[in-house]
Amino acid sequence: MASLALDHVTKRYGRETVLDDVSLSVADGEIVSIFGPSGAGKTVLLRLIAGMAEPEEGAILVDGSDVIDVAPEQRSVGMAFQNFALFPHMSAFDNIASPLVARRLGRDGIEDGVQKIARLLKIDHVLGHAPRALSNGQKQRTALARALVAAPKILLLDDPLRNVDAKLRFEMRLELPRLLERFGSTVLYVTQDYREAMALGRRIAVLVHGRIAQFGTPDEIYDRPANVEVAELFGDPGINLFEGHVEAGRSGMVAAVGGMRLPLAPGFERIAGRSVTIGVRPEHVGFAAAGTEGAVAARVAALLPLNDRMVRLLVTEDGRELYTSREAGGAAMEEGARGHVVADPAAIVVFDRETGRRIAPRSAGFASPALQENP
Amino acid sequence: MHHTSTGERILRGVLISLALIFFLFPIFWILLMSFQTNAQILRIPPSIVFTPTLDNYVSLITGELKTASGVLKLAFMQNLLNSLILSVASVALSLVLAVPAAYAFARYKFRFSEDIAFTLLSFKFAPPLLVLLPLTIYFQQIGLANTYVGLIWVYQLITLPLILWIVRGYFEDISPDIEHAYRIAGHSWLRSFLKISVPLAMPGIAAAALLSFIFAWNNFVFALVLASADKQPVTVGALAFVTASGIQYGQIAAAVVISIAPTLALALFAQRYLVEGLSLGAVKG
Amino acid sequence: MTSADHATAGRAAAERPLTRRRRRNLLPYLLSLPALLVTVWIIIPFVTAIYYSLLRYRLSLPQLRGFVWFDNYLNFLTDGRFWYTVEVSLLYTVLTVVIELVLGLGIALLLQRPSRFNNLAAMLLLLPLMVAPALASLMWKLMTNPNFGILSYLVGLVGVTNFRWASDPSSALFTVVLVDVWVYTPFIMVLLLAGLRSLPKQPFEAAALDGVPRTFVFFRITLPMLMPYILTASLFRMLESIQQFDIVYAMTQGGPGNTLTVFQVEAYLQFFQFTNVGRSAALLMVLWAITFALSNVFVKNWLRLRERAHGAAA
Repeated sequence: MASLALDHVTKRYGRETVLDDVSLSVADGEIVSIFGPSGAGKTVLLRLIAGMAEPEEGAILVDGSDVIDVAPEQRSVGMAFQNFALFPHMSAFDNIASPLVARRLGRDGIEDGVQKIARLLKIDHVLGHAPRALSNGQKQRTALARALVAAPKILLLDDPLRNVDAKLRFEMRLELPRLLERFGSTVLYVTQDYREAMALGRRIAVLVHGRIAQFGTPDEIYDRPANVEVAELFGDPGINLFEGHVEAGRSGMVAAVGGMRLPLAPGFERIAGRSVTIGVRPEHVGFAAAGTEGAVAARVAALLPLNDRMVRLLVTEDGRELYTSREAGGAAMEEGARGHVVADPAAIVVFDRETGRRIAPRSAGFASPALQENP
Repeated sequence: MHHTSTGERILRGVLISLALIFFLFPIFWILLMSFQTNAQILRIPPSIVFTPTLDNYVSLITGELKTASGVLKLAFMQNLLNSLILSVASVALSLVLAVPAAYAFARYKFRFSEDIAFTLLSFKFAPPLLVLLPLTIYFQQIGLANTYVGLIWVYQLITLPLILWIVRGYFEDISPDIEHAYRIAGHSWLRSFLKISVPLAMPGIAAAALLSFIFAWNNFVFALVLASADKQPVTVGALAFVTASGIQYGQIAAAVVISIAPTLALALFAQRYLVEGLSLGAVKG
Repeated sequence: MTSADHATAGRAAAERPLTRRRRRNLLPYLLSLPALLVTVWIIIPFVTAIYYSLLRYRLSLPQLRGFVWFDNYLNFLTDGRFWYTVEVSLLYTVLTVVIELVLGLGIALLLQRPSRFNNLAAMLLLLPLMVAPALASLMWKLMTNPNFGILSYLVGLVGVTNFRWASDPSSALFTVVLVDVWVYTPFIMVLLLAGLRSLPKQPFEAAALDGVPRTFVFFRITLPMLMPYILTASLFRMLESIQQFDIVYAMTQGGPGNTLTVFQVEAYLQFFQFTNVGRSAALLMVLWAITFALSNVFVKNWLRLRERAHGAAA
C-alpha cells in the first residue's frame, strides 16, 4: 500500500500531447476511478504509472519519491489490461503465478497464493487451462487474479470489464468493490462507463482531452459538475441543457429559457443578466398536472422504460425537448398527456455560456466547502 | 467461381500432371540411378526395371571405391560432414546474433534502425563474388582461408539477414502488452525477452532457422572460392567428385541423393513457413 | 501538495532526462550491435573491390601493378568480350524470368483452388527449389549425358540424334536456362499462388454472377490485382538471374568456348584463370550497379506488399 501522486505530468507521442499537465493525488488505500471518453489518455496514464512509458515532463511519486527512474518490475504495481494480455503459452496457473515467481516465493508459497486468489475469483477449476481454452469471463478473472496475487502496493485496472458480457459485468461490478477493499491496495480504476466509475471509485478523476477536468467524489461530480462537458458525460439519459440567461423573478432569481422561467436556488444575484447554460438532470425534472407560476406547459411525446426507471420525453409549448426520469410504477402518464414542467431549484446547475464552467451559487453567511468551485 | 466442365477438368488434370512430371522426374530419375550399377546405367534403352543395388551408397560411406584399376579414395563423407558443420554452426551463430537484433528492430524505433536493417538486407542482393574475391586475398593474409571459422563468418551474410527479417515480422505480431504484463509482474527485461518474446516468436524462429539452414546447405560459391578440398561442402565436393571418380555415375547419383535429401526433408517439414520465408514476409502464406 | 514539494518535483524532472534517456535508449543498440559487427566488415572487401577496379593488377604480373583510374571501365567500351558478357547475361535473365513467370503463373492458376490434391501438388512442385542449384546442374548433367542420359535418349527417340546439350555452343544457353527454369519456376509459382489465394473474393463472385467472360475476368481483374505479386516475384528473380553463377558454373564453367560467360562467371574466370584482378573487380562493379538499381525498385515494391500483407493479417 502506498500513496500515489502525479505531479504536472505531460506525455507526448510525437507532436500529439496525450496527457497535458496532469496532477492527481491518491491517498494510501484509496480507490480512484479514472473516467473519460475514449482517447482521453486514461490508458496512457496507467502506462506511465506502471513504467511502460515515460512522461516528458513531471514526476510520478509513490510514497513521496519519484519512481520514473524505477524499472517497471521494481515498482510493485499490479495491472489488469483491457485486452487481458495473458501469456498465451502458459496455463492460467502459471499466468497467475508469474508475480509470485518473480518474488522468488517457494513452490509451496506459489501454490498457496495462486489457489487462494483463484478460489476467491472462482477460477480454481480452470487453473490448468491455457488462456485460449478460457471463456472471456475466465480470462478476465485470470487477468485480475494475476494483478492481485502479489498484493501490489498500487493496483491499476484498465477497463477490466470492457470485454466481458453484460451479465458478468453486472456481477463483477458488485463483486469488485469488496474484493478491492479486501486487498487494501491503492487502486486506479480506468473505465468509460460512468456507472462503473461511480460504483467503484471513492473519488473520480474525469479525464477529457488529456486534462483532468474534475477530481472529486461521485456525488460532487454528478451534482456539481465542473463544466458542461463533465455534466454531459454522466447520467443516462443525459442532463437536460438549455441556453438562457439569469434574471430576477418575483421571488428570487430565475433562469429564463425562452418562455420558461425556472426558479434558481439563492446565491445567483451577482450574475443577473449573464448568458448561461442551464443544466438539470432528468430525475430532478417534474411533470405536474397543475402548473405553478413560470412553469411551462408541455406534453409527453414519448415514454421509454430504461432499467428500473421510466423516462419521458417532454416537448414544451415552444418546442424544446427534455427528459424526465422517475422510478417506474408511479403515477402512469400516457403519451400525449399534458402538464407543466417543474424543476427542483436546488438541483439546477448553472454554467457560464462562454467558458462552459459551472457558476456556484454564493451563499450569504455560511459557505459550504462542497460548493466551492474547482480551481 | 465458374462451374467447370468435364473437358476442362481433364485439361487441368493433364496440365498439372505435365508440371508434376517435369519438376519431379529429375529427382525420381537420379534416385533410380543411385541404385543402379554402371552397367545398368549405360544400358540402352534405359529401363526402370532393374535389380537395385546399394553398392553406390556403400562405397560412398566407406569412402572406398573398387575399380578395375584398384581402390579409389572418396572424400564424400568429409564433404557431408563439412556441409553439416558449416550449416549448423552458421545458423546457430546467426540465431544468437539476429534474434536479439530482430527484437530491437521490431520494438524500438531508434536512430538509424531502418537504415541498419536495410543495410543488412542489401547483403542478400549484392553479387557475392564482389565481396568474395577480395576476401580470398585478405583471408590468406589473416589465416582464415580454408578454415571453418572463416567460412562460418562469411556464411553469416546468407543466414543472418534472412533470420533477422523473418523473425522481426514475428516479433512485431506479438502484443507489447503481453511483454509489459510480464515485466509489471516483476520480471527483468531479459527474463521477459527469454520467457515471453522468444517463446511466442518460436514458430517464426524455427521457420527462419530451417530456411536459413537450407540456404546455407545449398550454398556453392562461398565455399568454391574460400575452401580447399578438406573443408568443402557437398555442393562443391560433388562437382569435384565427378572428375575424381571418372565414369562412376552410380556413385555420383548416390552422392546427389544424399546431398539433396536433407533440404528436401526439411522443406516438407517447414512447408507451412516456406512461402513466408521465401518472400521475407511479403506474402502471408 | 505544498509548494516545496512542487519545487523538488520540478527539479527532479529537470535533472531526469539525461540519465534516464541514455540508459533506456542504449538497449536497442546493444541488441543489434553484435549482428551488425559480424556483418559490416563486408564493407572492407567491398571498398577493396572498388579500389581493385581502379588498378592495373594481375596476380601473375605483380610488377605491373598500378593505379589507372577508370581505364578498366573505359576498356570495356571497346571490348567485345565485355559486351558479350552483357549480352549473354541479359539474354539469360530475360529468358529465365519470362519463361518462369509464364510457367509459374500458369501453374499457380491451375492450383488456385485450395483442394487437397492441389495443395499436395503445390508442395511437391516446390521441391526443385530446395535442391542446391549446383547439385541441380549435376543432376541435369547426368540426365543429358550423350552416352546414357535419359534426356539424350528421349530426344533421340523423336529423331534428334547427337544433341549435345550444354557441351554444344548452340544449345548450351538453352540447357542452362532449362535448369534455371527447373529450379526457380517453383519460386514464382509459390509466390503467385499465395498472392492468388489472398485476393478478395467479391470481384470474382460479382463477375461470375454477371456472366463476364473468363478471359475478360483474367485480364481485367485477376492480372491487375495480382500485379504487385508478379512485380515483386519477377524483380526478385531478375536480381538473382543477372547474377547467376552456380548453375552456369556447375554446368559448363563458362564454356563451351566461353559461350556462357555471364557476369559472375566471367569475373570468376578473369580472377582465377587470367588472374586479372582489376578487370574482374571492374566487371563486378558494373554488375553491382545494375543489381543496386534493381534492388532499390524491388525493396520499394516488396515493402509495399509486406505492409499490405501485415495490414490484412492484423
